[in-house]
Amino acid sequence: MSESDQIEGNPESMVSTPAVDVIIPATPPAGPSERRAARKENWRLIRRRPSFIVGNIIAIVWVTCAVLGTRITPHDPLDFRAKPHLSPSSEFWFGTDKTGRDVLSRVMAGARDVLKIAPPAALLGVFFGVILGMLMGYIGKRVDIILSRIVEAFLALPVVLIALLAITTLGNSSWVVLGVVAVLFTPVVARTVRSAVLAERDLDYVTSARLRGESKMFIMFKEVLPNVSGPIVVELTVRIGYAVFAISTLSFLGAGPPPPSPDWGAQVSEGFNSISAGIWWTTFFPAAAIASLVIAVNLIADAVQSVLEAS
Amino acid sequence: MTITNPDNAVKAPASSALSVTDLEVVYNVRGIPREVLRGVSFHIAPGEAYGLVGESGCGKSTTAYAALRYLPRNGRIVGGTVSVDGQDVTAMSNERLREFRARDASMVYQDPALAMNPTLRVGRQLIESFTLLGQSKTDAEKSALDALRKVRIADPERVMDRFPFQLSGGMQQRVVIAMALACDPKLLVLDEPTTGLDATVEAEVLDLVRVLRQESDAAVLLIAHNLGIIRSLCDRVGVMYAGRIVEEGPSAEVFDSPQHPYTVGLLRALPRRGVRKTERALATIPGLLPLIGSPLPTCVFLDRCAIASDLCHTTAPPLVAIGDGTGRFSRCHHVDRIGEIQETPVSVDIAMLNTSAKGADVLELTHVSKTFHQRNLAIPALVDVDLSLGEGETLGIVGESGSGKSTLAKTLLGIEAADEGGSVSLDGHFVAPLTTGRSADEKRSMQMIFQNPDSALNRSWTVRRILMRSVEKLTGIKGDEANTRVEALAAHLRLTPRHLDLKPRQLSGGLKQRVAIARAFAGDPRIVVCDEPTSALDVSVQAAILNLLADLQSEKKTSYVFISHDMGVVRYLADRIAVMYLGRIQELGPTDAVFNGPNHPYTEALLSAIPNVDGEERVRIRLDGEIPSPANPPSGCVFHPRCPRAMPGVCEVSEPPLREVEPGHLMRCHIPVEQLIELQRPPAQG
Repeated sequence: MSESDQIEGNPESMVSTPAVDVIIPATPPAGPSERRAARKENWRLIRRRPSFIVGNIIAIVWVTCAVLGTRITPHDPLDFRAKPHLSPSSEFWFGTDKTGRDVLSRVMAGARDVLKIAPPAALLGVFFGVILGMLMGYIGKRVDIILSRIVEAFLALPVVLIALLAITTLGNSSWVVLGVVAVLFTPVVARTVRSAVLAERDLDYVTSARLRGESKMFIMFKEVLPNVSGPIVVELTVRIGYAVFAISTLSFLGAGPPPPSPDWGAQVSEGFNSISAGIWWTTFFPAAAIASLVIAVNLIADAVQSVLEAS
Repeated sequence: MTITNPDNAVKAPASSALSVTDLEVVYNVRGIPREVLRGVSFHIAPGEAYGLVGESGCGKSTTAYAALRYLPRNGRIVGGTVSVDGQDVTAMSNERLREFRARDASMVYQDPALAMNPTLRVGRQLIESFTLLGQSKTDAEKSALDALRKVRIADPERVMDRFPFQLSGGMQQRVVIAMALACDPKLLVLDEPTTGLDATVEAEVLDLVRVLRQESDAAVLLIAHNLGIIRSLCDRVGVMYAGRIVEEGPSAEVFDSPQHPYTVGLLRALPRRGVRKTERALATIPGLLPLIGSPLPTCVFLDRCAIASDLCHTTAPPLVAIGDGTGRFSRCHHVDRIGEIQETPVSVDIAMLNTSAKGADVLELTHVSKTFHQRNLAIPALVDVDLSLGEGETLGIVGESGSGKSTLAKTLLGIEAADEGGSVSLDGHFVAPLTTGRSADEKRSMQMIFQNPDSALNRSWTVRRILMRSVEKLTGIKGDEANTRVEALAAHLRLTPRHLDLKPRQLSGGLKQRVAIARAFAGDPRIVVCDEPTSALDVSVQAAILNLLADLQSEKKTSYVFISHDMGVVRYLADRIAVMYLGRIQELGPTDAVFNGPNHPYTEALLSAIPNVDGEERVRIRLDGEIPSPANPPSGCVFHPRCPRAMPGVCEVSEPPLREVEPGHLMRCHIPVEQLIELQRPPAQG
């Protein structure tokens, strides 16, 4: 069933411009209700995308695990002990690890560690990236040249090494991981925002604002920012996915929460050595958890992007 | 006059090159089919040129694309037939259609830069058009060179070796036309072929099309919003409105004595026959174009028609043959009542404006230059400009792209700083070169209306917020009082309170431009710079905006700097005109003096290049070559390499000063004015 067949409702709000000549002469004057309808329409389009639905189902599963934690895990993720290295069975669906803990319970509880850090880290990175990108794009000239070089230099560095170095120096608390991921994301976001701002800067509404004597701050954050919110929202969603990935990588390398914690990256790292012995489940399930969350977030980002870019 | 059955009124001649019969096209917009063409019929004989005119959204481009079955993916032909040279295009298989497009029909688009592949040399692309027809590589190369010669390209070998971006817009369009003619098509569709080009270049391309028409017997379908182009190029014209042809006939007859209320409205909206703002207001067509796909059971123009009767509400008008039946038709019940449509009288205030003498100077520019620096290259975009602007006066600025019009506007507004040594003064006081250095009152006094309202209005702000911010910032009024002022301002520009809470994209082009004008007038400015404020609008909307600007001026004694490439518009609104070329003022004088001559040779060429909707014959003056780069201006008079009247030994040696040739009329030319008068006398009298 094609998308267009499913949509019905107020035809006025749905007139779009075909590729040729046909310009809608005038949207009939209408109140704010129409604007709300347009926003609702966008939201409805996003909701109808299969990638959005699938992505959300997966994400909701993990968020539920993170919120409820030990209240829904079949066993205690830390203290429960059975025989070590039991393979998956009807009793222990995901098997047990080398100290006999239930892998399913640990994977479920591990969602909390990732979801506590990834979204705030992405948000912080986008926040700084927007400020930096705005300065580069709008002020331009020397500011842009200098900041661009710094951003490029930053992007050329081996990310994982820098992160590890920072975490070993500053300690591996969640706050440090959060901060490090945010800092790593800032230049990437800055670059996206810069190019969006560059396209806006030469539009006449900016000239008009300058003509009535607006400050640079006002123009950047009140005039231009709302017009580049599309790419920023997309960037934020994409970054959450990358943050999940980055945090898991760091804890895999030992820069995450200390051992008893059921963090996914740490679990993969713990079980990693036993793979050669045929004990795949201690690695596979936490790894699959990481992958599913990253994919879920990316599916959502994809849906958001395609709708925002079309409108 | 005979009334005929609409179905067989326009009989297909036995041998028509293009024959469109009752064509109906719908666009699927989010699942809902919307009717764009509601039964379009016309026929073009071999060798004939047929023009389609109408405002945006009337379906003229859709008709052209449908003729080649080249509709966008959501477009569908649901009724009628299109046949080219006897072949039914609507019934062709995809394979056959491709063959047809390659051999029998060609299309030239608006933007030549987009019609060519930027990464391939011109020669390779042109040769491909011939190899596609089955020619061998060597034959194709020969044909390509011939094709370039045919479109009057002087040095075809060299052009073949260039990339598209290395050619000027006019050259690019010639190459595209050469490609279109490669297959010797039966039908050539030109969709706004000169819209992006400068006046003198446009004239060259139109001349070329005219000559090519005599050389081939292709039928030409020309789409243009400029009625002058249609008149000068087409044998017959069809006027479209809301997906239907409402009037058809020989172009001269249609434009001289329109027989449909819409055509009458369209033509009266144009500033033509040298009409000035002091003589009459431009006619506007009340109401809006019906929405795409809205049901229009009877006459499509009903809602906006001044002479509609009860009959029009109940019965769809048939095509009425006019005169002796030589192919003139109007789709109107009341052809006999066309004369009843009233002219718009001029408002008293504007008429007064004429008699009042020019006020004190509000703005004065002395020795203003602007040099841009790119790497180590100095590019003088504005050279030693002296100008003054009186209170309530409109100074028109004309010139082709790259002449420095926009730089002049930006420099006087303080968006760009003038070079050292020049000064801008407002009411006799020097102002800082940049806006940032100017006082609140100085900022309030100088505002701007931009060309494209889509870019000029912040699309994420509501109209209220846009106006509110300007009122607060420019007048210092805050809160409720500011809100009252915003509402008064909006009402003044005939925006309703409902419009205030909408965002720009929910408004039509004309309404958007009204908002932009309201914003410029938020602080009661002394001077408003208008940068092509109507070039993005349809003629009937343009008329309303021009009337509005004239009204505001007469009421508030605002001075305008009015930049435009449309001579008719400038003539209508401007009191004085400055003609610019390569950053220099070449001629400056009262509007009548500039239009009546004597003229600077550049102005003369510019005026002669305008295709005229009234069909006045003018001696065409061709300009050779291209506008030189401002970075490397010619010696002496910068116009001498292209000037048809250049005097060797004088013009390339020294730059002439801007001299007064008659009171208030200045010219930068070495040729004595008496000689210019002699040279420019119309041949009929001389």
